[in-house]
Amino acid sequence: MSERLPARQGEAIRRDRRIRFRLERRTIAAFEGDTVGSALAAAGVTITGRSFKYHRPRGLSCMTGSCPNCLMQIDGIPNVRACTEPAREGMRVERQNAWPSADRDIHGWLNTFSFMMPPGFYYKIFQHPHWAWPLVEPYIRSKAGLGRVPQEPDHRRRRRINLHPDVLVIGAGAAGLAATAEAAKAGASVVLLDQGREAGGHLLGEASSTLRSALAREALGSRARFLAETAAFGVFGGGLIGASGPDALYRIRAQHVIFATGAVEGSAVFPGNDLPGVMLSSAVHLLLHRYGVLPGRRAVVLTGDNVGYSTAWALKDAGAEVTVVDLRSDGGWPEGFPVFAGATILSAHGRRRVSAVSVGTVGATSGQKVSCDLVVNACVQTPSTNLLAQAGARLVFDETLQAFLPDEMPDRMWAVGAVAGARSPEASVAQGRLAGLEAAAGSGHPVDAASIAALRSEAARSGDPIVLPPEASAASGKQFACVCMDVTAKELTTAAAEGFDSMELLKRYTTITMGPCQGKACMASSQRLCGAITGRSFAETSPTTSRPPWVPVEMGTLAGARLTPRKETTMHDRHVAAGAEFMWAGDWRRPHHYTTPEAEVAAVRNRVGLIDVSTLGTFRIKGPESVELLERLYPNRFSDLAVGRVRYGVMLNDEGVILDDGAVVRLADDEFFVTVTTGNTAALERWITWWNADWGLDALILNVTGAYGAVNLAGPRARDVMTSLTDADVSGSAMPYMTATRMAVADVPSLVLRIGFVGETGYEIHFPSAYGEHLWDAVMGAGRSHGIVAFGLEAQRILRLEKQHILVGQDTDAESDPYEAGLGWMVKDDKEDFLGLRSLRDLKERGPLERLVGFTAPERWLPPEGASVVREGAWVGRVTSARRSEAVGGVVGLAWVPAEWAADGSTFEIQFGGSHTIGTVRIDPFYDPRGERLRS
Amino acid sequence: MTFLITCPNCGPREALEFSFGGETTRRASPSATDRELAAALYFRRNVNGWQTEWWVHQSGCRAWFLAERHTTTNEIRRTYRPQDRPRDEEQEAAPA
Ligand code: FES
Ligand SMILES: [Zn+2]
Repeated sequence: MSERLPARQGEAIRRDRRIRFRLERRTIAAFEGDTVGSALAAAGVTITGRSFKYHRPRGLSCMTGSCPNCLMQIDGIPNVRACTEPAREGMRVERQNAWPSADRDIHGWLNTFSFMMPPGFYYKIFQHPHWAWPLVEPYIRSKAGLGRVPQEPDHRRRRRINLHPDVLVIGAGAAGLAATAEAAKAGASVVLLDQGREAGGHLLGEASSTLRSALAREALGSRARFLAETAAFGVFGGGLIGASGPDALYRIRAQHVIFATGAVEGSAVFPGNDLPGVMLSSAVHLLLHRYGVLPGRRAVVLTGDNVGYSTAWALKDAGAEVTVVDLRSDGGWPEGFPVFAGATILSAHGRRRVSAVSVGTVGATSGQKVSCDLVVNACVQTPSTNLLAQAGARLVFDETLQAFLPDEMPDRMWAVGAVAGARSPEASVAQGRLAGLEAAAGSGHPVDAASIAALRSEAARSGDPIVLPPEASAASGKQFACVCMDVTAKELTTAAAEGFDSMELLKRYTTITMGPCQGKACMASSQRLCGAITGRSFAETSPTTSRPPWVPVEMGTLAGARLTPRKETTMHDRHVAAGAEFMWAGDWRRPHHYTTPEAEVAAVRNRVGLIDVSTLGTFRIKGPESVELLERLYPNRFSDLAVGRVRYGVMLNDEGVILDDGAVVRLADDEFFVTVTTGNTAALERWITWWNADWGLDALILNVTGAYGAVNLAGPRARDVMTSLTDADVSGSAMPYMTATRMAVADVPSLVLRIGFVGETGYEIHFPSAYGEHLWDAVMGAGRSHGIVAFGLEAQRILRLEKQHILVGQDTDAESDPYEAGLGWMVKDDKEDFLGLRSLRDLKERGPLERLVGFTAPERWLPPEGASVVREGAWVGRVTSARRSEAVGGVVGLAWVPAEWAADGSTFEIQFGGSHTIGTVRIDPFYDPRGERLRS
Repeated sequence: MTFLITCPNCGPREALEFSFGGETTRRASPSATDRELAAALYFRRNVNGWQTEWWVHQSGCRAWFLAERHTTTNEIRRTYRPQDRPRDEEQEAAPA
């Protein structure tokens, strides 16, 4: 490690904690608190990467994460900004876009052949002859782009966090800290964001840390929430602000927003302005004061106001030899250095690092050579107005500061600090405090009017006019307007000559401002160049439209965590142990079968079977007006349903279309238990609670799905099994079909329904779901001597189809009414009112156009669901369910057919994909048509 | 959708936590004419401006409530429980 400067207060590094990491094949020694960039600078590594197009060597430039120069592949992640990335023990750092190495990149030849790559070269050069493009393209593609995309899946856990504070402060520099402190002190809830690891902004680079620590104590000691390493990247509709933090995406919607986004520095445009060793003053301050690194021993500082002299002094204090090039000619600069007044840097020289500059008057082609190893740009400050612009602020050119500044701010938004033109920490602090107080007042917290008035005067903009460097140098050589995309001043001139003479056109044609820095480093200089080329002043140009993201955001952060909801019943492990094949039923995992569906069907028909039906939606509806609610929700009648009885019900919407079906149990005069279809539960809960809210009935609806587990025990021997599980009388006379009884089953308090979806003697047992495994084991144990089997969803589908029991959503659709679906017997249209009544009157009068009917077909071909019903070559209907049935011998199914062909015994043709068969209508259930087994 | 909704039970939350129930409408009475039935089932005011509409706090308390929202700015000036509806709106019903 090359030497560091003596330790100083407020520095970021812990000199007593040493760490080491790998840069390609080298080991780099660093201190805790170093960034990768600062450690590399300390180790004397000046080339941090190769440029995008010409593979030119590039070095640290800003140290604030605002330029493209230090993008590196770190621990496999591409395009990490090394200058702000904390150095960690053992990390693996690689420089990008270079082969075999950044130090000796063989594609540097591209630099020499750059005349072949004029702006838009990919639109022009390789298109003729046409056959050449496919040969050239892969090579160009491999040369373009930055970094390598990691091939492994990203397993980091990403969170998405919604915040809605009274006040959001973006940027924790002097202004942002002051705003936070005032707003929080007044009692407002405040969220403060900053890209950096530490609060302070520009103050971090100051020689003294006194003001920074005082402000930080004041702001962060308050109730404000500080999110470090979190960057606001865009302002979206409705005032939503997106910010990305460590493994988190923040969605922030604040009552008031204070933008303290600061300013970023830009570089003067001259040949060699991209050489390693040409830096912005921010980098110099941070390297000196935070990391104890002297970035060069012989420095040339280019400035257009007195602020640049603080950089010169800082370097001189650290032991460097400093020359100042002052763009102003009218004197008044501080003493202490050799100064070239009224001059500029015409060009920088050097191969792998800057070794000298030519200094002369603006417009000269050659000047005096000054040898140096560091060139500091302390001359262009661009306020970071992008987020402001996205939020709808109006930007106006300021002649004194030579920059576009916010003029009118939208309601309940403020711009403070450098972004608003403040040029001293004092002005920033005053502006911040003022906005903080105003925001707190706006959120209803009492503030002192006198202090607001006092701050107003302090906060005003002030300062001498700034002199900017020329738009470009007259000296020859490659001068870069945009280092991200390697766009030179000459290329811009060429593009403008071709007619692309506004910023928006230049941007699209030359890709200027579209690189990784998003225009941070180059927007102002390219605007000025564009103006100069087309004969307009800086003020007459305008920045391109600002769009999110203002800072890079990882795709994974936007994508968020990968969540696939998956519900399992409390008996799930038993199904797994029994070797079940699972399938999705909505969000649920349900056994499709355990052995074979056919064997399971036979067991239920001949002996007894058990199926887990915990996924059924279940509701308890209680209250004096719960009968009234059901009377209005269903076409069925429930007022006459006796306690302990079960009724099958169907729910309709006001068009008379079937929404769902299920069992309704009367538990008490004022309480019901309702089951609905598995996949419909959430929608039905919304539906029922909605109408209840609208009608204002005194009924409470509780979704108990999941709180209760349920199994259906069915088959000719179900009663025998049941008898051994409970003391209650489960005989056919004591507990007939369509009744419900509360009883203990295997000592578990349960509600048992005598219903039979599968068409055999059946007991549907609902119980507290925590007892799932116990109950499953008890029933399977009690059934063993009766030959019990567990059956899955597929067996249940065959069994129900043999009974022509419909599945809502499978056999019905958004046009199915109860008359056409064969459920007209449920409609009590003499009731006063219910959902669908008015529409059903019309439907009844018109008579059904189609009918849902059962059909049988020969064994040999099983038509798929959706197969066409055809008559005389015309499509007239469709099959909704079909299965092979052993009990019936052949195919059984349900189909929609024209009403006139719905008579028992009529036939129709079924076609699908070249196969066909003949269906014969069967009005009664295929199996046990009278329902004797069901009722027994 | 990107705005905040104040649930009358839970306070201000992201709109993502809620499900939309549409503008309030009047159900057709059992004796409605065909025209009235069609209007109730298929026609909405679809205003450009302030609208009273249904929301349910799906990922929260799961209760339905009413909101007055501006359909172009998404500003919500008032939310309230259905029992606090002004009397003349009492007959307004949820659309099917
Ligand atoms: S030096 Fe790291 S982004 Fe500029
Ligand atoms: Zn709520």
